[in-house]
Amino acid sequence: MVDWRLFEPLFNWARKKSLWIVSFCTGCGGIEMPPLMTSRYDIERFGIIPDPSPRQYDLFLITGYVTPKTLKRIIITYEMAPDPKWVLAHGSCPLNGGIYWDSYNAIKHLDKYIPVDVFIAGCMPRPEAVLDGIHKLMEMIENGEADGWKRYKENYEWYRKNQEELLGEGWREKEARKWIPWLMDKKKEVKE
Amino acid sequence: MFGTFLKALLIILYATFVGFMFMGIIRKVTARIHRRIGPPIYQPIIDTIKFLSKKENITHGIIYDFGIIFALGATILALMFIPLGSISIMRAYGDLILITFLLEIPMLGIMFAAMSSGNPYAGIGAQRALLTLLAIQVPLGFAIVALAEFYGTFSTYEIVMAQQTSGWSIFHLPLLLAAIAYDIVLQAMFGKEPFDIMIAPGEISLGPMVEFGGKHMGILQIQHAMGLFAETLFFSNIFLGGAVITTFSSPILNTLATLAVLLVKQLAVLLIAIFVSTIFPRFTIDQAAKFYWKWPTIIAALGAILASL
Ligand code: SF4
Repeated sequence: MVDWRLFEPLFNWARKKSLWIVSFCTGCGGIEMPPLMTSRYDIERFGIIPDPSPRQYDLFLITGYVTPKTLKRIIITYEMAPDPKWVLAHGSCPLNGGIYWDSYNAIKHLDKYIPVDVFIAGCMPRPEAVLDGIHKLMEMIENGEADGWKRYKENYEWYRKNQEELLGEGWREKEARKWIPWLMDKKKEVKE
Repeated sequence: MFGTFLKALLIILYATFVGFMFMGIIRKVTARIHRRIGPPIYQPIIDTIKFLSKKENITHGIIYDFGIIFALGATILALMFIPLGSISIMRAYGDLILITFLLEIPMLGIMFAAMSSGNPYAGIGAQRALLTLLAIQVPLGFAIVALAEFYGTFSTYEIVMAQQTSGWSIFHLPLLLAAIAYDIVLQAMFGKEPFDIMIAPGEISLGPMVEFGGKHMGILQIQHAMGLFAETLFFSNIFLGGAVITTFSSPILNTLATLAVLLVKQLAVLLIAIFVSTIFPRFTIDQAAKFYWKWPTIIAALGAILASL
């Protein structure tokens, strides 16, 4: 077998130069995505393109507040990607709840549920700030500091415990079965 | 035997490299049309290295893996039959129908893999791709018939040689019509914009490609690069006069000049496709099927009739 560790610097360079973003727009920050990708702050210069498939991305942008309902989708999307993958959270809301600090329906610390590599503060951050964050992430990838995906594997019990505390045990099955009664009998109430 | 093997390897390497450059050119030119700077031209190579270096792989069974390999193999096989100037392995058997058929097989391989993943988006994408494939057959068939009628042969290499003496195909009216129809079909074969219904980014997630991640996607990128190279090469061979250059005395110089001339012709084909794709929005699938069975078919049929007169 070839020892692939020798090629690791090349791979890290390639990973840093071609971060594909999954188009997952949460919260207000979704409006900051198009300017990032169009002519003014053209992010494709760094090899970054938006891609609608959760199987192919490397960079997951959490662009704002996260409600428990969205968090379920975020966790599923996060777990669907193959391994070297990074999360960049921008805005104050994923950081500590932001202006929704006393909301019953916005999660306060995103880092408790999925591992975040880079946070960008601001409500909402300018595209330059996002570019700066991505630049920081590229540096971290190059010298191997960005290890969110590794942390998620090693501390899976902790993340899993936090997720289940918030969303209730067995939420994946419940979420999948949620619409079946509604489809069978439209008059029946949907129970979460 | 060994020489043939080496030649095949060289053709594959050259096709992959140039194909990647073509993919880069597509992205760069599209960016320039949008007034952006765009990625560096070697960006698709970086993407492929990244995909191949993923630490995890998702597979959905044997057919899922096999479909990808099947697509790559079919593209390589098509490449072997298309005359690349004076170098090619099996150009004597390079039948028009065979090559057109082989250029569509990769799509079927991707369909196999996509359908076996069980993703509904992939299923919808596969259905749309198959309908597109069905729709482009009609004008494609007429264009091939026009060519065969005009030159009286099915062999691609003989058509290239005939164009050396009688001028490029597109300068004869019946074949010009066939070329126009073929160029419209090429838009769907590249998966470029007015007819990129099978992939439809944003509309149905990514269509058939939605489940491919990691190494599968890396191999698909390589396949796409080779496919681009093969399709443009085939078009420039049958309509733009190919290239067999014998002006220099040394064979190596001749080969290089041939490759350069072919490259320019391929780029011309590619650039037309890019310009069309950046300014036209996507058709829906029923519109595309109706379109292909109407205008390109009429044009190509007219070409075929004129050629046989
Ligand atoms: S940080 Fe501000 S802009 Fe971003 S999601 Fe929260 S409230 Fe909206």
